Amino acid sequence: MSGKHAAPEAPRAAIGQSILSAEGVTMQFGGLRALNDVSFGLSEGEIIGLIGPNGAGKTTFFNCLTGLYAPTSGSVALRGTPLPQDPAKVTDRGIARTFQNIRLFPSMTAEENVLVGRHVRMKQGPLSSLLHGPAFKRSEAEARSRTAELLEFVGLSRFSDELARNLPYGDQRRLEIARALATEPSVLLLDEPTAGMNAQETEATRQLIFKIRDLGTSVVVIEHDTKFIFTLCDRVLVLVQGELLVEGTPDEVRGDPRVVEAYLGAPPDEVEHQIHAAEETP
Amino acid sequence: MTAIEKDPVVEPAAVEAPRGRLAGLAPYATALRAAGGLLTVVGAYLPWATFVLNDGPYPEKATLEFFTAPLGVSGFRLHLLVFGIAAIVLAFVPAVPARGRILRALGWGVVAVSVVNGMYITTQGGGFGAITAADGAVAFGAIVALIGGAVLLVGAFAGGLEGHARWGRPLGRFVEWALLLVIYALLLLLVAAVLTSGGQGSVANPYSGAVFLSFLGALGGLLAALHSAGVVTWVTGMSERHRAYSAIVLLAVALLLPLTAAGTQYWMTVAANIGVYAATAIGLNIVVGLAGLLDLGYVAFLGIGAVVAANFSGATAARFDIVLPFPLVMVISAVVAGIFGAIVGSPTLRVRGDYLAIVTLAFGEIFVRSSQNNIGGLTGGSNAIPGIPPVTAFGQPFNESLTIGSVELPAGALYYFLIVVIVAAVMAVFGNLKNSRLGRAWIAIREDEDAARAMGIRTGPVKILAFMIGATLAGLAGAFFAHKTGTVSYESFRFLESVTLLAAVILGGMGTIPGAVLGASILFVLPEKLREFADYRLLIFGIALVLIMRFRPQGLVPDAHRRAELAPQSEPPPPDGSTGPAAAKVAAS
Ligand SMILES: Nc1ncnc2c1ncn2[C@@H]1O[C@H](COP(=O)(O)OP(=O)(O)OP(=O)(O)O)[C@@H](O)[C@H]1O
Ligand SMILES: [Mg+2]
Repeated sequence: MSGKHAAPEAPRAAIGQSILSAEGVTMQFGGLRALNDVSFGLSEGEIIGLIGPNGAGKTTFFNCLTGLYAPTSGSVALRGTPLPQDPAKVTDRGIARTFQNIRLFPSMTAEENVLVGRHVRMKQGPLSSLLHGPAFKRSEAEARSRTAELLEFVGLSRFSDELARNLPYGDQRRLEIARALATEPSVLLLDEPTAGMNAQETEATRQLIFKIRDLGTSVVVIEHDTKFIFTLCDRVLVLVQGELLVEGTPDEVRGDPRVVEAYLGAPPDEVEHQIHAAEETP
Repeated sequence: MTAIEKDPVVEPAAVEAPRGRLAGLAPYATALRAAGGLLTVVGAYLPWATFVLNDGPYPEKATLEFFTAPLGVSGFRLHLLVFGIAAIVLAFVPAVPARGRILRALGWGVVAVSVVNGMYITTQGGGFGAITAADGAVAFGAIVALIGGAVLLVGAFAGGLEGHARWGRPLGRFVEWALLLVIYALLLLLVAAVLTSGGQGSVANPYSGAVFLSFLGALGGLLAALHSAGVVTWVTGMSERHRAYSAIVLLAVALLLPLTAAGTQYWMTVAANIGVYAATAIGLNIVVGLAGLLDLGYVAFLGIGAVVAANFSGATAARFDIVLPFPLVMVISAVVAGIFGAIVGSPTLRVRGDYLAIVTLAFGEIFVRSSQNNIGGLTGGSNAIPGIPPVTAFGQPFNESLTIGSVELPAGALYYFLIVVIVAAVMAVFGNLKNSRLGRAWIAIREDEDAARAMGIRTGPVKILAFMIGATLAGLAGAFFAHKTGTVSYESFRFLESVTLLAAVILGGMGTIPGAVLGASILFVLPEKLREFADYRLLIFGIALVLIMRFRPQGLVPDAHRRAELAPQSEPPPPDGSTGPAAAKVAAS
């Protein structure tokens, strides 16, 4: 319950080596070029914001990073090693994501959702699954205690046995984050984590992302809420019609007339005013 | 421990207010309920048929005059009497939780019993005269009871339906153990009663089908009433608290079936057949219920298991001259079926949903056609492989009766024991896998395949494993099937069989063990029981399926998860982010 006016700036962790990088990623859907030669680098301990108007290609970019789409050209690498074109393997390598239109497993409980996230980190073969021997019980207990920690971490312990589909909307988004964290990612990609949330929930999410960063996970966030992005991120990228238009610190991006013009398609002054107004309202 | 805690706590349940025209009847609810009960009692004592039917007198002295033998009513009339009295009592006792719901269940039971018997007498007696008035005799039992049931239903709805009653805290461990023991023993008697009700259809026993259906109707009403009263939930909760104990006692209880009224060769054979299909249905439940992959050719794996077993059995038509011991044959059958499962499963890497169903359908058809044409000389073609010797152990063939001390086991009891053990093993496999990393991966794929992949699940191998394990279990059952029936013919593994198995899984409740067993039992007992309806069998079957899917889409024993999924939901769907609130958010300030 922090004050509204001075939302505490979490101390920025030292930004380390480059961890995730994309080189000239282009994605063509038939006649539509959803991404055009996009390059970016994410460093350890960094939070990057990705903004842009609807249909700019932000989600498509995430899909290319996670192997869900195979880019028409360009490459993606984690710690210098190219990533495979298979979402399951990418997750195994240490990139986790959430989805813009929540994709939980609706008729599994919150706990089971997070347990599925443990899939890649659990050592439990089919035979062990069948026989339920001591090794099985150990790995199961370990996974459950880790799951309990994660639910606690995102503040959903009380919903542990609730079906995901019955959770309030904001909590579903949080559960998706917990599920992603269960895969022990070094990079977390969040696609509009505060969409549909009220101001209070948004603030809680902001603090949650800081906490995640402080635990050593680099984060990329897509969000339309500019106030949220500018107060959260170390760097912001602006994507417009598949092109990386501007890249810089929140202050640089906020003041850039091209962004204001292209992003909002309105005369710069007016929009500038609107952005500042948006930031002042809680 | 306070006084409140000692009694079963009934959670305050919201009363579902009656809607529409029924709302106006609310003040008369008690009167209607009592009247419904009274009419049911009267109906039970009225004569039901005006004359003796051609095939022989209708059961339970249907032509007996009104109230002649007040204590002598039996069969369906006794069921009605009990339901009627229960309804009258409930109408006036206010303290019963979920009263309206219980009454509704009783009402449906009364309707079912009177419709089944009434329709049967009408069709067999050549018209409505048989249940109204003819030749100077009157018999309004069916009609009065039906009206009674209808009034009861109206009264139940008019008074409003409460939520299901829930019972509170657990009792001590030993108390619960004792209670469970009694309940499971009752369950055994109930199963025996269901199996034997109506007896074996024959010329001497022309109404067995009607008696059986009527019994099912009454049983359905009773179980629904118990469910409304919270008894079923209470028992389930108790058995879940004592899983291991329940498993052992249930296994023991199942092994006692030959000592009940069902302990004859005929019922043992029926029970063993049910067991084969129950085991197979549980295997299918892995593929369909857990992993959500629609398989329309699944019975082929049962067939593959049976064919493999037949070829190693020493039957004259067998391809191989080797006779292997039965346990080894079971393993080989299971493995071979599993390999085919993996082969059929591999296209699932590429196709989803409807396309997958077609691939599996084609596979089932390939199996039927190639065994019909005796490809590879393995299946005996249209001659089938007859003369498969029975399983023997210690010189005792499994198809013969056995006397141990003073206990005489009917012929077929040994096969029954064997299939009980097989089904128990298959259940253990299913249960263990469901609650494991692999099982969760299957369910995740069923729920959302893309999200599952994003969680690091290699969907390809995981789906193939589902097919493989499901097929393995079917192969196991197939080996048993071959020896028990003594003949393996492609005719037993046709498309209709696959569909029936699928229906069993869906009917019973996807993803649950009791569901698959119950579904298989119903779908494979019914044809046995309804032999005399030969021509209408599939029709009745179809209508029943449609009704169940309409009124209980989650299946008879739903998975806790699916139950919630299909429950009516008032929450608005989450706003779809794809339209993007971008401009709105900035402009709104
Ligand atoms: N699988 C696909 N096939 C064809 N076109 C696609 C596909 N996925 C995305 N697109 C198109 O690519 C463009 C970029 O879409 P994308 O979802 O990446 O936008 P976005 O920036 O995430 O927008 P929003 O803010 O609305 O989420 C859109 O025009 C979209 O229609
Ligand atoms: Mg998007």
